[in-house]
Amino acid sequence: MVVLLAVVVIGGLVWLTRRNRGAARADHAGTDDVSPRFPGRPLGGRRVPTALMSQGRIEVRGLTKEYRGVRAVDDLSFTVEPGRVTGFLGPNGAGKTTTLRMLLDLVEPTAGTATIGGVRYADLDQPIRRVGAVLEAGAAHKDRTGRDHLRVVCQSAGIPLARADEVLELVGLGVAANRTFRGYSLGMRQRLGVAAALLGDPQVLILDEPANGLDPQGIRWMRDLLKSLAAQGRTVLVSSHLLGEMAQLADDLVIVTAGRLAAQGTVASVIGSMTWLSRALVRTQELEKLAAVLGGDVVVTPAGDGGAYITGADAVAIGEAALRAGVAIHQLVTQVPDLEAAFLELTAGKAAIR
Amino acid sequence: MTALLDSAALDQADGTGTTLVRLLRAEFMKLRTTSTGWFFLAGFIMFTVAALTINGFGSHYQLYPQQGLVSRAQGLAEAAHARSPAGLAAIAASMMTSGQRVGVLFALLLGVVIVTSEFASQTAAVTFVTVPRRVKVIRAKVAAAACCGALFWLVSTVMAAVATPLFLYTQHVSAPLAGWTVTRSVLLNLLGFVTWAVFGLGLGAVLRSQMASVIAAVGVYAGSFGAEGLFTLLYNLFHQGWLLGAPVIAPALAYAVMIMSGQAFPYAPAGWVGGVIMTGYTVALVAGGIAQTNRRDVI
Repeated sequence: MVVLLAVVVIGGLVWLTRRNRGAARADHAGTDDVSPRFPGRPLGGRRVPTALMSQGRIEVRGLTKEYRGVRAVDDLSFTVEPGRVTGFLGPNGAGKTTTLRMLLDLVEPTAGTATIGGVRYADLDQPIRRVGAVLEAGAAHKDRTGRDHLRVVCQSAGIPLARADEVLELVGLGVAANRTFRGYSLGMRQRLGVAAALLGDPQVLILDEPANGLDPQGIRWMRDLLKSLAAQGRTVLVSSHLLGEMAQLADDLVIVTAGRLAAQGTVASVIGSMTWLSRALVRTQELEKLAAVLGGDVVVTPAGDGGAYITGADAVAIGEAALRAGVAIHQLVTQVPDLEAAFLELTAGKAAIR
Repeated sequence: MTALLDSAALDQADGTGTTLVRLLRAEFMKLRTTSTGWFFLAGFIMFTVAALTINGFGSHYQLYPQQGLVSRAQGLAEAAHARSPAGLAAIAASMMTSGQRVGVLFALLLGVVIVTSEFASQTAAVTFVTVPRRVKVIRAKVAAAACCGALFWLVSTVMAAVATPLFLYTQHVSAPLAGWTVTRSVLLNLLGFVTWAVFGLGLGAVLRSQMASVIAAVGVYAGSFGAEGLFTLLYNLFHQGWLLGAPVIAPALAYAVMIMSGQAFPYAPAGWVGGVIMTGYTVALVAGGIAQTNRRDVI
């Protein structure tokens, strides 16, 4: 009886192992049976009509999350379009990560909806083939190699294990594939997170602070990668604190503060909405005379070195006024607000820890 | 849409197997690709070797009582009992299950680790983003824990199956290793290993914290042995007969009752009672773990 049982148990384990090896062999074997990449073959679960997935639009409507009386996310609504990089900005504690986690069904909303192509993440067929996510740089077992970390995801999702090596090469981690996660630098961990997100060649990418810890070359690499992905028609939603980087990377912006939407639009339109922050730098020996000519609507603020910032009048008006008054102007420069100035203005007074 | 890569691998993606089988393979891969699972297995093997050695010495002294420790008459009586068919069958059963009563702790703790390592290493988010249907993930983990429990039992039993005939041969006695007494003990221990592994998994899924779960698991197992004294004390106070059998509600004693046919402690109920109680705890913990996993946010 014992021998019989032992045979059954060993037989079961051998069967599982052989099936595993068979799948691994199939990973490397060539075949002409090429399945379409979008959508992939059904891998199980509920099927979602393809029509609903025709666009990778992310829609957030009235999303709210309350933790013990504090509204981490408060009636938040915005839309992220395919084919563009959308920057998701906000001060610490603004609710960015909570929003992204609600989008990925990791956190249950108190109210509202978050959908991708009109479908909740939890209801997506083959979610990893539709959406790739980078959530935390430290989200891997410290004793597991980078390759094995990705292979576990492949195995869970029904993606051939060989795909792990492909994405490792893509993110520049091929040489470190067999190193354990413990030995990865923060930048390498970020790259591994991106590699995991790309395993399913997804239509939508959601990245939470992916540039943290990257060196300048890494940031440049990340920027080029995300831009190229958006250029292919994919939806890229990326949160970041690096405003300078976001100004170079993003096409659109969603700015949240204290869990609420502060601004949404193209980078130019968001900054453009802050035109009242524009000012002119003027250098002249007769500043008081010039201010008197400009009238009482302007505000003059010393800028050092004999210069001054003038708000309330643009460079043309200042130049004409100086001409009329016979004031010699040594320098006249229009200063428009950048993303940082716009961000700080939009979030001013609302960034306190709640 | 342009593909990110000219991916030969993705072109062949066909999602072989059902979700449960895929997830079960992934769980095995998780265990294989970290040192934890191997550490547990190595520790268990060393423990089993030690248990076989200690048990061997104990059985040897049953067959050959030492003159200095007992009187000659008592020694002869003990040896005669040990050498009777029932005595030899009991020795064989004991050798064949050497260390397994405590060895289930390894299965219990591995069950805990299978689920809590996801939270300790922050991979739970990756797991649930890959497979948002969390019940399926927990089901696969339950199956993986059960398989690990069975594997530990198999390793222990194979080691015992090699050592026991050798031991009996060196002691110049023979016992029917395929007899019902031995087979029953071995089978009940298989059930025990599987149940404890799944018990640990359920406990880990409920508590999530690895440290808290490990402490609770060891506490539940070791603390159970205090239940007998506690209920004896209560019996002395209240003189209710049922209190003498009540220690069976402690998980480790329920397990002992299950595998020892009611001989685990004086007034122990029948073996099936222990089995029902142990299974009840395990089912309740897994159900609680599934409810927790479904309800709680992954932050």
